[in-house]
Amino acid sequence: MWDQVGQTLHESTVRVLSRIAGLLPGALALVLAVLVSAVIAWLAAIVLRRLLARIDFDERLDQWGLKSVAEWSPRESPSLLVTRAVSWSIILVGFTLGLAAFDAALSSRLAFSLFTYLPNVLTAILLVIVGGIVARYLARNILIEGVNMHLQYARFLSIGVKWMVMVLAVAMALEHLRIGSSIVRLAFGILFGGIVLALALAVGLGSKELVSRSLERESDRTATANAEEPFRHI
Amino acid sequence: MADAATIDQIGKADIAIGLVPSSHDSAEVSAAIDRILESSPPVNAVLIHPPYAPDGAKAQRTGSRWSLLPDPQLAQDRAALAQSLGASYRAIFDSALKLGVRACAVVASDLPSVTADWAPLLLEPATENGFDLIAPCYARHRFEGLINRAIVYPLVRALYGKQIRNPLGPDVGVSAGLMRRMTSGSKTRMHPLVSLVAEAITGGMKICQAHLGARGYPPPDWSNLSSLLAQVLGPLFLDVERYAPYWQRAPESQAVPEFGRHQHVEGPETAVDVTRLIETFQLGAHNLHEIWGMILPPSTLVELQRLARLDRAGFRMPDETWARVVYDFALAHRLRPISRDQLLKAITPIYLGWVASYALEVESASPDAVEQRLEKLCLTYESARSYLVSRWRWPDRFNP
Repeated sequence: MWDQVGQTLHESTVRVLSRIAGLLPGALALVLAVLVSAVIAWLAAIVLRRLLARIDFDERLDQWGLKSVAEWSPRESPSLLVTRAVSWSIILVGFTLGLAAFDAALSSRLAFSLFTYLPNVLTAILLVIVGGIVARYLARNILIEGVNMHLQYARFLSIGVKWMVMVLAVAMALEHLRIGSSIVRLAFGILFGGIVLALALAVGLGSKELVSRSLERESDRTATANAEEPFRHI
Repeated sequence: MADAATIDQIGKADIAIGLVPSSHDSAEVSAAIDRILESSPPVNAVLIHPPYAPDGAKAQRTGSRWSLLPDPQLAQDRAALAQSLGASYRAIFDSALKLGVRACAVVASDLPSVTADWAPLLLEPATENGFDLIAPCYARHRFEGLINRAIVYPLVRALYGKQIRNPLGPDVGVSAGLMRRMTSGSKTRMHPLVSLVAEAITGGMKICQAHLGARGYPPPDWSNLSSLLAQVLGPLFLDVERYAPYWQRAPESQAVPEFGRHQHVEGPETAVDVTRLIETFQLGAHNLHEIWGMILPPSTLVELQRLARLDRAGFRMPDETWARVVYDFALAHRLRPISRDQLLKAITPIYLGWVASYALEVESASPDAVEQRLEKLCLTYESARSYLVSRWRWPDRFNP
């Protein structure tokens, strides 16, 4: 019996070792692929950085009115953001190629799912970037207009709008990434519905008189200011 | 555009007057047209006017040398003042050039305030003395034309070196030469009113100003002040960028010849209430410091924060601070740290702070004292020009 146990153990050890030995070339190929892609990414980053610096990419982005992109990037340099994005993409491609060395069927399935998921990731990133730009623009606009209209709560309004847009953009991005889509949808339904209901209640029921008094006061104040205004700006 | 057939029918003319009314009341416009037609010009004249069915027969009946040229494009839109004025002036210049006139006057003030002597005052310096641009001088009380007093006049005077009291008109006389300059192919992107003075000065043309007396204007609209500022300052700052090579080497300012009689208008006798202006400035200082921080250097920001803590009695904005603020906004308009529209609107609370400070200073001042106060501001703008030149050339240099 001990002989049989010993034989079984020996066979399993040989099997495991032979499998490990079979995986070693693939693992080495993976490491090599990652290393080579890292070197290529490093070289590409150097070339790209110099190229972008030569064409004044950061300044051009400002001129095109995309200054907000800079605020999303490391050290507020869009060139660095582009360079890093390209580098990591090359390393990702190298890693995917390295995986192919393990098992052709597995890797092709993995690569297929990775590549079919990639557009969703890119769309989500784009959504968050655009959402961020729009949120900042709207927040700034509302803050400036609010102050010019003499609204004491201009900052509060501006921050509120900024976060609303940002949260909306992130929720849309999550929807594209297929992460908790039903929860996000539900949360939004509740949030926006709640806000609208709260406003409706405030104006319609609970604070009707308070709101109307406030609106009348503001209207009177503006009318008085206009009527008594001795200054002619034009 | 004016009808080409009507222009052909009129043929050639010596002078033209364009009307760009702020009013849409046809009776008021017709009355103003009739008033102008009552004068008898010594040469062939064309009145380019909005099509409000004036009594055209009057021109024929009196046997005068007037011809009428209706143009539906001539109007002021209060919501888009700069654009509508630009389109109207361009249309008038085009028609006047087609008619081959020697000079053209454009009247854009409220029509009831336009008197019969405006036309000769705006046209004769061009036809008889060879001036290319006749800018207006209005009789105004101390609280009128504040954007002009605070920004436009001192800025244009400091940068381009000519003491033109109302660089943005709007009532002007223009020679055919200057009209051709303004409408030539490469200049079509310029604002035909705002860029008029800068183009005339940088082109070495002859400039004078005419005292037209009091000027009417529509009632102010508080809620649109920031839009109004943006509409005025946008084209002005574009010109600062366009003519940068000129003003970086411009000489000290010089007076220009004047026509007509200088007049004063008494201001309100009662004390002015600047509480709301100061409150808006303080609200801006409290909420907009991040946005102002992208435009202004730290020393100016600190100064504005200090001002925001002052009470009404001691509230005074130093001229040096104000001039630098305007210069920094002009530079930021070129560099675009934020969108240009937001940038131009973000100056409103600081402008209101300046208005409050100015109002408190000249509250009970005589017209001469107000003039001296304005002259002091202009000299500060001129002395601070080196600051703008330095920042314009090296915007990235550390500036405390």
